[in-house]
Amino acid sequence: MIDISKIDYSTILRRYDAEAENMDSPEAVAAKMLPSDPVLSEVASAVLYMKFKEIGPVVKKALESKEPLDIINNGLVAGMEIVSHLYAAHVYYLPEIMMAAKVMEVGISIAEKQIPGGRTTKGTVVMHAAEGDPHDIGKNIAAVMMRSSGFTVVDLGKDVAVDDVVDAVKENKPFLVTGTALMTTTMTAFPSGAKKLQEAGINIPYMAAGGAVNRDFAESFDLGIYSEKAPQTPPIADKILAGYDWKKIREEWDSIVGGE
Amino acid sequence: MAKFTKMAYESADDMLFGHAKKPVSYGLGIKVGAGRVIPEVNYAPRPGTEKSVERITKEYVDYISKDAINRAVTLGFPDLQLETEWVAQMGTVPGMGASVVAGQKAITEKMHDEYGINLAVRHTIPDQREAEHGLRGGMDKKFGYPEKFIECCEIACENGADVLSVESVGGKEFADYAVTHGDITAFLFGVGYLGSIDMEHVWTQMVDIAKKNKTIAGGDTNCSGANVSMFMAGGMLDNDVQKTFSAVTRCISAARTMVAEEVGATGPDKDCGYEGVIVKSITGMPAAQEGKNCQCAHADIQGNLMAQCCDLWSNESVEYHPEFGGSSVACWLGPLGYECSLMNTAIATGNAKTLRDLYMASDRVRGPEGYVLAYDNAWKVGKAITEYGDNYYLRAKAAGLAGANIIREGYDKKELVLTKKQLDVLDAIIKELSVLPDDEDKFYDYCVKKYKDDVPTFNPKSYGF
Repeated sequence: MIDISKIDYSTILRRYDAEAENMDSPEAVAAKMLPSDPVLSEVASAVLYMKFKEIGPVVKKALESKEPLDIINNGLVAGMEIVSHLYAAHVYYLPEIMMAAKVMEVGISIAEKQIPGGRTTKGTVVMHAAEGDPHDIGKNIAAVMMRSSGFTVVDLGKDVAVDDVVDAVKENKPFLVTGTALMTTTMTAFPSGAKKLQEAGINIPYMAAGGAVNRDFAESFDLGIYSEKAPQTPPIADKILAGYDWKKIREEWDSIVGGE
Repeated sequence: MAKFTKMAYESADDMLFGHAKKPVSYGLGIKVGAGRVIPEVNYAPRPGTEKSVERITKEYVDYISKDAINRAVTLGFPDLQLETEWVAQMGTVPGMGASVVAGQKAITEKMHDEYGINLAVRHTIPDQREAEHGLRGGMDKKFGYPEKFIECCEIACENGADVLSVESVGGKEFADYAVTHGDITAFLFGVGYLGSIDMEHVWTQMVDIAKKNKTIAGGDTNCSGANVSMFMAGGMLDNDVQKTFSAVTRCISAARTMVAEEVGATGPDKDCGYEGVIVKSITGMPAAQEGKNCQCAHADIQGNLMAQCCDLWSNESVEYHPEFGGSSVACWLGPLGYECSLMNTAIATGNAKTLRDLYMASDRVRGPEGYVLAYDNAWKVGKAITEYGDNYYLRAKAAGLAGANIIREGYDKKELVLTKKQLDVLDAIIKELSVLPDDEDKFYDYCVKKYKDDVPTFNPKSYGF
């Protein structure tokens, strides 16, 4: 092997990941964001620090003094919002999001049993991976992020036939349907599905995403909108709930995913 | 079945691009690993072309294959391998797979006769098996994917495939969970252990079918596991998955991908298997690799390094569409072929090892995955695998630990920079792998219990349990 011991790598590459590393600890960031109420702070902390074993007892204890909706919105969801903040700041990464979301969902399932008639969410979304496509990891991550943002997710899984997607939309009446595809020849299911929805008089946005999909394709058919990465899905969904139709989402896509 | 318990290469320095201990000849004059590197171009048809047998055949044969071969002739390349990764419809629409395979066979024969260019076509059949429906024959009552898998192999081989390959998905149910949750034990169990068992099952059948039809049984890749991990670890600004985690999954995947060769495949294995250099160090069989010339498909941070020991050099995949300089397939083949030309010039002038080292050195410390795949380190991972070569679990664990320790040593001697998070994850991996049981049965029982709720789609019957 040639002598590589004397190479000055600063002339060859830059480790931007090391240079841009955020050295803040989760504790330091959380100290400024946790609820001031001690009971809700304990609930939020259990989510924030992914305490699977503690979340049940902590929520049950909180229910002795707090309303369940208060615990959900200002404890569990508040904790998850801090997790999202830490994720955006590159203090937390994907595994922390996945595990914290799981803790939050355990807490919500306990608290919402105490709500007469059940809990209402921001809205329902139907999600799937295209027919013939076994790749659904992106959809699964997006589903976690949607649940964490307060949406109800109807997850149809992977390799889902177009007619099954249309039937699920008719049954669940979502405000948004999403599909992911990793292959150029499976993503053609999305325009087919969108067309069938329109024929049934359903004009909700049809989000197309996944490795093979680009914005041009997603916006090449009526109802189609694009999501490049899983974290973009909740802010786009929020805009739809705020009254944006698929055309307006397209017009303002850059600013929506840019966090404006 | 004889497992690899010895290294094919006695030293890392013996490994070199364009040279394999066990070269393979096939197709129309193609010789892989026999002294020169060959470009392998891969492509995807445009959306909508899958609507009919005629249309997709035209796309693959008259547009993609013809464009690629014409460009190779135009630029004076002596060899070209085409790779067709079957779209899902080729395995489900009657006649579609056979039509494309036969069409590509015919056009390669025609162009070979016309120009004398050496040509071959690799067919990579789709593995659509889903854990929730079962991976083995008779289990999937909904789709019948295990049976379709075998049918695709037969169709490909019977209609003229020169090389048969697959990106098999055994253990994917655990790999997906492992990557998204940063759980190295789940990856070891899914890919290192269950994935190896599944590969033995499917590749035994694939080798039989290939032999029966005089097709080369090429090889596999852990695209569905280690590549997912690597892509999510991403570049300098993408840190969903830690790069140290990704690097260790790559090492574990090598212990699994080599199973194809153990049951009779001869190589070349699949381009997107970045573990190929580790596999080659053990098996001595030719490796297809990809790196800087596959930016059309994805970015990785070891683009030069991956060329260090390749025998086929690939672009991963590009969707067929027009570019200023011709079709995308032709345009992306150009840099591939010229890179091979550079490597072959280095071989012809006695400078191959220098070029190999320059490739390696330029990316050695760009990230932990490149560091552990640098051929000297990759060889050490291979050595660790062969020391436990008889046992799928123990050799995969040894691969993971060896890779993790190599990265830790690189950090300790200040050769490789790691972020605090990358280092924390690495240390946690070393600790976690170190305390796993040495007994395979205990490990199996431990994992089945541990992941009972988190991986509900696991069905022991999919792996013969």
